[in-house]
Amino acid sequence: MGNDILVVAEHMEGKLAPSTLELVAKGRDLAAQSGGAVKAALLGSGAGALAQSLAAYGIEVLHVDDPSLVEYSDGAYGQAVRALVDHVAPRVVLVAHTAQGYDLAPGLAGAADLPLVSNCVDVRLEGGTLVATRRVLNEKIQGEFEVASDRPYVVTLRPGSVKPAEPAAGGQVTPAPVAVDASKVRTKFLALERPQVSDIDLAAADVIVSAGRGIQKKENLALVEEFAKALGGVVGASRPLTDMEWLPKTRQVGQSGKTVRPKLYVACGISGAMQHVAGMKDSGLIVAINTDPSAPIFEVAHVGIVGNVLQILPLVLKDLKG
Amino acid sequence: MPLNFVVALKQIPNPDLQFAVAPGGKDIKRETLNYKTNGSDDYALEAAVRLKEKHGGRVVAVTVGPKRAESMLREALAKGADEAVRVSYEDVGGYDVGKTARVLAAAVKTIPHDLVLTGVQSDDLVDSATGALVAGILGLPHVSVVTRIEVQGTGLEVWSELEGGLSRRYALALPALASVQFGANVPRYAPLPAIMKASRQPIKEIAPAALGVANWDAIATPYRFSVRRLSPPDAKGHATMIQGSADEQAKALAKMLREKGFVRR
Ligand SMILES: Cc1cc2nc3c(=O)[nH]c(=O)nc-3n(C[C@H](O)[C@H](O)[C@H](O)COP(=O)(O)OP(=O)(O)OC[C@H]3O[C@@H](n4cnc5c(N)ncnc54)[C@H](O)[C@@H]3O)c2cc1C
Ligand SMILES: Nc1ncnc2c1ncn2[C@@H]1O[C@H](COP(=O)(O)O)[C@@H](O)[C@H]1O
Repeated sequence: MGNDILVVAEHMEGKLAPSTLELVAKGRDLAAQSGGAVKAALLGSGAGALAQSLAAYGIEVLHVDDPSLVEYSDGAYGQAVRALVDHVAPRVVLVAHTAQGYDLAPGLAGAADLPLVSNCVDVRLEGGTLVATRRVLNEKIQGEFEVASDRPYVVTLRPGSVKPAEPAAGGQVTPAPVAVDASKVRTKFLALERPQVSDIDLAAADVIVSAGRGIQKKENLALVEEFAKALGGVVGASRPLTDMEWLPKTRQVGQSGKTVRPKLYVACGISGAMQHVAGMKDSGLIVAINTDPSAPIFEVAHVGIVGNVLQILPLVLKDLKG
Repeated sequence: MPLNFVVALKQIPNPDLQFAVAPGGKDIKRETLNYKTNGSDDYALEAAVRLKEKHGGRVVAVTVGPKRAESMLREALAKGADEAVRVSYEDVGGYDVGKTARVLAAAVKTIPHDLVLTGVQSDDLVDSATGALVAGILGLPHVSVVTRIEVQGTGLEVWSELEGGLSRRYALALPALASVQFGANVPRYAPLPAIMKASRQPIKEIAPAALGVANWDAIATPYRFSVRRLSPPDAKGHATMIQGSADEQAKALAKMLREKGFVRR
C-alpha cells in the first residue's frame, strides 16, 4: 500500500461541492503525516473543465470520464471508485459526509472490506494508526477513536470542519485507466428533481425566528409568528416541523433546506443538530432559547437563554409592546 | 409482487438527556439512561409496512443489541412487522460501526430479503454508514437518504434527498438496500390490540452458532478498533448566557434586541 491520500471530489450541476476543497485541505495535513501526495478522484461525464478547476488547487486530479457517471449512483460510481482505490492504493480515502458521501464511502468500505470511520470532525495519522475525532450523542460527547489497519482507511469528514484549500501551483489532470461496465450497474440514475417553490424567500430575510420541536404543539407557532412580526422578521423551522407539515418545506433551515445568513437568527426550541447548524451558523447574531443547558445550539449561538420558550416569548413580547 | 422486507432498527439513549463520561473515558455513564427507537428507523419500518400492505409480502424487524431492545422489537411487531429478530451481539457503546454492520450483514444473509431498509442515521452515533456498509458487504445495490419508494415492474423507483432539498431519482434492481430519511412518511401509532398481541409474540434470537461461527470474534474486521477517550466536546465557542428568572431573562433579551435596533416600532 502507498502513502497517498485520495480525495473523492463531489460536484453537481457543473460546480464542485464546497466540501471538496475542505477535503483537499485535510488531505494535505494527512499527506504530510503519511509522507505521500494528495490526489483527487473526479468522476463524471464531460466534466473535464471541472477536473481542471480542481487541479488549480495544486493536486493531481485523476479524471474518469464515462457517460454512466453523469450523476452519482452507487452502481456506476461504486465500480469506478473501487477501481481507482485499487489503482492508487492510497493510505486514506477521504469523502465528504454529505448525502452522497453517506452512500459512497460505506458502500466502498463494505464492498472492498476496508476500515471506515464516518462523520469525523478531525482525523490524523499517528504512524500507521488513524485517529478520528467524532461527535456523538447529539453533539454532547466527543470521542477519539483509533483504527489500525494496513488497508486503506475510508474516512468521511463532516462539512465545515476545516478551512477550504487555497489555489496552488503544480496541479495536473490525469485521465485514469478506469472503465465502468454498464451491464453491472443495478442502481440507475433517472432524473434530478428540485422542489417547487411558491413561498417567501427565507434566504432574503434580515431577521429569522425559527421554531423547533421544542415548541411542542402546532398551535404554539402563533407565538413564534407574533415574535417574528415584532422584529420585522419571518418564521423558519427545523426539519421535524416541516416534516410534520406544521410549516411548508420552504421554511426549513439546514442541510436539506435553506442556507441563511440573516442579521438576526433566533432559535426557539432547536437542539442544534449538525444538519440544522449547517444552514444558519453564519448568521450575524444568533440567539437560542432552549430548556437543555447542554443543547449544542448554545455552541453556535452568541446569546443563550436556558428556559422554556413558551414562557420566555410571551414575556419578551409583553416587554416589547409595553 | 410480494416482497420480503428486512428492517434494521436500533434502540438508542434518548438524545435529549444529559450525558457524562464514565470513569476510564471509554464509554458514557449508562445507569440513568432511558432508551427509545432511533428516529429514522420508525420511518424505515413504516415504509416497509406500507409497501407490504400494498404489494404483499413479509416484514422482519431486526436489531443487533442487548435484551432491553426487545421492547423496541415488540413495538415494531405492533406496528406491522411479522417477525422480530434480535442478534445477540452486545457491544455496549457500539462505537465500531464496521463491526456492527458486519454482524448485521451476517444475520440479514440468513433471512430472506428483497429489500433491506435502515434509517438514514442513528441519532446517538450519527455514522450514517450502517446501511450502505451492509449493502456493500452483501453486494446489494443501495440508495441512501430515501424519501419515497415505489414498486416499478420487477424493481423499485426511489428518491434520494440531497443538500438543499434536491433529489435524485433512481431505478433500483432487487434485491437491494435503502436507508430511509426522516419525514419519508407519517409513522403510525400501534393500536392497543396489536400491542397486546405483540406482547405475547416470540422474539427470535440469533446467536453466533446460527450464523455458523463459534463466537462474535469470528466475524472479523480488517482493522483493530478502540475507543481512545471520550470527553465533553471542545466547543469552538459558547453563547453568552442570560441568567436569572424567566422574567429577568425576557427583560434582558428585549433590552438587547431594542438596543441592537431589531425592534419594529
Ligand atoms: C440527511 C439529513 C438531513 C437533515 N437536514 C436537516 C435540515 O435541513 N434542517 C434541520 O433542521 N434538520 C435536518 N435534519 C434533522 C436533524 O438531524 C435533527 O433531527 C433536527 O434538526 C432536530 O430538530 P429540532 O432541534 O427541532 O428537534 P430536537 O432535536 O428534538 O430538539 C428539540 C429541542 O427543544 C428543546 N426543548 C424542548 N422543550 C422546550 C421548551 N419548552 N422550550 C425550549 N426548548 C425546548 C429540547 O431541549 C431540544 O434541544 C437532517 C437529518 C438528516 C439525516
Ligand atoms: N445495532 C443496530 N441494530 C440494527 N440496526 C442498526 C444498528 N445500528 C445501526 N442500525 C441501522 O443503521 C442505521 C444507520 O445507523 P448509523 O450508521 O449508526 O448512523 C440506523 O438507522 C439503523 O437502521
